[in-house]
Amino acid sequence: MNPKKLSIEKIQEALRSRQYICDRSLATVVYLSINLGKPVLLEGEAGVGKTEIAKVLAEVMQTGLIRLQCYEGLDASTALYEWNYPKQMLRIKLEEIGKGDRRTVETEIFTEEYLVKRPLLEAIQSNGTTPPVLLIDEIDRADMEFEAFLLEVLSDFQITIPEIGTIHAKQRPYVFLTSNRTREIHDALKRRCLYHWIEYPTFEKEYEIVMTKHPQIQTHLAKQICAFMQQVRQMNFYKRPGVAETLDWASALITLHRDELDEKSMEDTMGCVFKYREDLHHLKSEVAGKKLNLEGIFKDPMEFQT
Amino acid sequence: MTTQPSDQEIISTVKRFSSVRGQGILANLLAFSRVLKDLGLRVGLSQVIDASRSLEFVDITRRGDFYSVLLSNLICEKEEVALFDRVFDCFWKDITLDEEPMETIELSVPGSEESQEESDGPGGSLEEVVAQATSQEEDRTQDRDPFFLPTYSPRESLNSKDFSEMGIEESRAIGRAILLIASKIATQMSRRKKRALKGDEIDPRWTMRKNIKYGGDIIELVTRKRRIKKTRIVLLCDVSGSMDCYSRFLIQFMYGLQNELWGVETFVFSTSLTRITHLIRTKDIGNALERISSSVQGWSGGTNIGHSLHTFNREFAPSLVTHRTVIVLISDGWDRGDVALMEQEMRNLKRRCYKIIWLNPLLASENYQPLCKGMQAALPYLDFFLSVHNVHSLVALGRTMQKLVA
Repeated sequence: MNPKKLSIEKIQEALRSRQYICDRSLATVVYLSINLGKPVLLEGEAGVGKTEIAKVLAEVMQTGLIRLQCYEGLDASTALYEWNYPKQMLRIKLEEIGKGDRRTVETEIFTEEYLVKRPLLEAIQSNGTTPPVLLIDEIDRADMEFEAFLLEVLSDFQITIPEIGTIHAKQRPYVFLTSNRTREIHDALKRRCLYHWIEYPTFEKEYEIVMTKHPQIQTHLAKQICAFMQQVRQMNFYKRPGVAETLDWASALITLHRDELDEKSMEDTMGCVFKYREDLHHLKSEVAGKKLNLEGIFKDPMEFQT
Repeated sequence: MTTQPSDQEIISTVKRFSSVRGQGILANLLAFSRVLKDLGLRVGLSQVIDASRSLEFVDITRRGDFYSVLLSNLICEKEEVALFDRVFDCFWKDITLDEEPMETIELSVPGSEESQEESDGPGGSLEEVVAQATSQEEDRTQDRDPFFLPTYSPRESLNSKDFSEMGIEESRAIGRAILLIASKIATQMSRRKKRALKGDEIDPRWTMRKNIKYGGDIIELVTRKRRIKKTRIVLLCDVSGSMDCYSRFLIQFMYGLQNELWGVETFVFSTSLTRITHLIRTKDIGNALERISSSVQGWSGGTNIGHSLHTFNREFAPSLVTHRTVIVLISDGWDRGDVALMEQEMRNLKRRCYKIIWLNPLLASENYQPLCKGMQAALPYLDFFLSVHNVHSLVALGRTMQKLVA
C-alpha cells in the first residue's frame, strides 16, 4: 500500500481485510503516525491487540516487521549494535600470519562487515521501498536507562557509533511502542509519541472479531461467547480475560464441534478463559451465587450487551 | 477514580481564556492547550505543534476525527482522558455545562448500607465534612467496641512528639529517616550482571574487546557482578477522618519516598481510591496538601479499606504489582466496609506482591491491640506490622526494610 495515498478509511478497511477490527480513533492515530513520522504509544489491558496491530500493519504496508522485545537489563548492545568480536579477533590472527598492514586492519575491522545489527539499527538502516514497522514491545519492562537512549533514536532517528560515525535513517520506520503500565513511562518519551489507549472491545466489536477470525462459527455461539466475556469482565477476577482468550475459547469450542454453549461444555473449556485456579474457583461461586446469570446468557445473549 | 476539577472550574477556566481565543483554528488550539494546562494536565509545546500539524491530515469537520487528533497528541495518560473529554466538550462546543453538577462519582459500594450513608455526606464546607466524618467515625467505634474507646483518641494516647503535632525540626528528621529507608530499598541485588572492577566472574565479550589492543592476547580481564535491583514501592495511604491528625506526616512521607526512589506509586483512599502519583511528582510541597485534598474524593471521610483495595486490585495491581513490589499500607485499620471483602482483597494482593507492610500510627499506644475486625482480617496477610508515630519508628521501619532486602 502506498503510504502517500492513505486515508483513515483506507487504513481501517485494510486492517479489517487482514482480520484486525479497529475503531476509527485507532485508525486515525495510525494514519497520523504514518503522516507525521511520529511513534505511537499503545496502552491497554493484556490481550486487547496492542502487539497485533503492528504485525498487521506490516502486512498491510507489505513491509518488514522488526520487533524488539523489552526486558529489564536490555542494553545498547542488544538493542542497537555490537561489534562482532570473534570475527574481529579471527581477522587479526589471520593478518598476523600474513604479515598484513596494521593500519588497514585497524580500519577494516571497524566497518559494517564486523557489525552485528540489532533491531533499532536495522530499522534505521533499512532501505526497502516502504519503511519497516518497528515494534518496541512492552517498553515498561525495560529500565529507565534504556528509555533514555531510546529517546535519542526516536526523536532524531539516528544512531551514533563512535568508530563509524552517525547513521541517519534513510526513511523513518513506523514505530509502535506498547506498554502494560507496570511502571510509568517517562514524560519525555511519552511526549514524542501519539498516545492511544485500547479498551476492551464492546459486544458488537468483539462479535465482529470472533466472526472475522472464525467465520465457520455458529452465530448464536459467537453471541453467547461474547455476552459471557462482557459479563465476566465486569466482575472481580484476578486476571480478566482479553480478546485473545475469547478467540482461544471460540476455537476450542469449534474444535469440539459445539454449536451452542451449555454449562457442561463451558466448564470443560474454561481453561481457555481463566488461567488461575482461584479465578476458576471464583467463577464457580459466582455462578452458584447467581451473580453471573448463565442461563440468561445462554438463552438470550443479546440481552447482555453492556 | 480520576482526580477531577468541578464543572464550574472547567467553565470558568474556559471563560478566562476566551479572550485569547482568536478567529482561526490555531489560536483556538493554543487557547485550548492553555486551558488544559491550567487545569493541571501536562501539555508540552511540542505536542501542541504536532497537534496542529496533524490537523492538516484530517477532515476537521468530522468531530470524531478532530477529537482523536487532539487526544492522541495532547494526552499521554489514560487517567487524563476523562478530564480531557470534559474540557473538550466544554471548549469546542462553546456551550456552558449545566450549572448543577452533572453526576458525582458514586462513593458507595453496592450493597453496603454503611457507605450509602456516607455518600450523602459530601456537601458543605470541608470543615463540616471533616467534623461530620470524624464524629461519625467516633460514634461508630463506640458502637463497635466500647472497651476500646479510651485508647482510641490519638491526641491523648500518643506522646507529645507525635506526628500529629509535628514541628519543623521533626519534619527535617522525617526527611532524613525517609532517605535512609529509601537507600535501603534501593540497594537490592538483581540477577542481571554488569561490568565491575572487582566482580565475581569473567565477562568474555568485554575481555575480548578490551584485549584487541594487545592483538588478541588476553592481558586484561574484565569481570562482572550482580547489579543493584530497583524494588518498586506502592504506597496506599488512608486519608479518612480518623487519620486526619497524621495527614501532614502522610503527605511528607509520600513526597519523600516518591522523590527519593524510582518507581514509587502513591494512592490515597478513604471510601474510594485515588491515584495521586502524578499530583505529588512536582517539587512544590507547599500547596500539596491543599492540591491533593481538593482533588481526592472523600478526603477526611469515612473508611472503606475493602472497597479501596478492591479498586486497587482490579484497576492498578495487574500492571503495577509484581513479585518484586513492596506494598506499604498506612492506615489505622478502622474500617467500616465489608470485612469479608477486605479479607478477600488482602489475600489477592498478598498473592501478587513481594511483601506487605502495614504502618499503623495507633500501634505505638501501649493499650492498643489490633482488635477491630478490619485489622484482624488483614493481619494474617501482613509481613510486617509496624508503628509510625514518630521519627524513631521510621528508623525502625528503615531497619525492617534492610532485613527485607538483604
